[in-house]
Amino acid sequence: MTRDEITAHILQIFRKEFEIENPGLDDDLREEHEFDSIDAVELLLQIEKMLGSELTQEEKKQAMDIRTINQVCDYIEGLARIRQNVS
Amino acid sequence: MVNVLKRLADFAITAILWTYYIGGFILVFSSLYFVSFFFRDKRDVAYQQLNNLFFRSFFALLRTVVPRVTWQVSDEVRAIRSSVIIANHLSFLDPILFVSLFARQKTVVKKDYFRVPVFGWILETSGYIPAFTEDSGAEILLEQVGKMKTYLAEGGNLFMFPEGTRSRDGRIGAFDRGAFRIAKFCDAPIRVVVIRNTGRLYPPGRFLFNTRERFTISVESAGTLTPDYADETFSLSALMAKARTRMEGRDNP
Repeated sequence: MTRDEITAHILQIFRKEFEIENPGLDDDLREEHEFDSIDAVELLLQIEKMLGSELTQEEKKQAMDIRTINQVCDYIEGLARIRQNVS
Repeated sequence: MVNVLKRLADFAITAILWTYYIGGFILVFSSLYFVSFFFRDKRDVAYQQLNNLFFRSFFALLRTVVPRVTWQVSDEVRAIRSSVIIANHLSFLDPILFVSLFARQKTVVKKDYFRVPVFGWILETSGYIPAFTEDSGAEILLEQVGKMKTYLAEGGNLFMFPEGTRSRDGRIGAFDRGAFRIAKFCDAPIRVVVIRNTGRLYPPGRFLFNTRERFTISVESAGTLTPDYADETFSLSALMAKARTRMEGRDNP
């Protein structure tokens, strides 16, 4: 999955699941879109669906510090890389 | 003079209630919590049941020492299981009233309370969840939300006040989406409950109970919402609007 594909998928999730239309990739999601910790839990669920595998507790904890869409994409790229290396 | 006597009555009854609240916990319940800590497998269940017992006894005392206030809790509310319960919020009494109504109960609590010695430990052991908007407490949040689906399926209730704060004028404030998000996460029904007049008995910002007026405190069901969360057209904000309409009594359950 390319970076552009990840970004498109994440923007679609934000539109459908969080009803946030066209957020800036570097918007602070908490400050500008009231994205809170429970939203982050929902986002993790969506990321698991996207990757087709469950996240470890450690990976979930790392996600709780994410602030922007770009950071979400970095996070997913990192997870995808780890899973690729394992398989 | 009459007013002074009335204030004194409020003060005396408040003192009795808070003395029981603190003394009852220290003298009786602290040892029960201590013993229950050794129930490793079902520690959270044991703590929730103790919380329930403690607050049932508190409300039994409250009803005894404030006989002018009558209470009506509908059977429909008492029978709620396996649901996310949302209610309006009028008084500090609301959350502890809900704890007294359900043997299996969880709720969301301000993160700061988790740091209070003993009290915070009981909250955490009971499986209560730190408020979502806080930055820290992510570990507890992840753990508790992860367990929530099983907990609800086993008959437990999660109760929340989506306004997040007590209403000063009785009007229902803006909703936070946390309760609705968890309901979706757990594929659980939402039970809308309306509380009336707890704010008259123990108003926000006051230390003393108002023990001299005659009125009825009621807790009633305003219906159940069972959305199809998997539906493509599902909208969290539409669900919140529907719950709000129910709570405000603008449609029939």
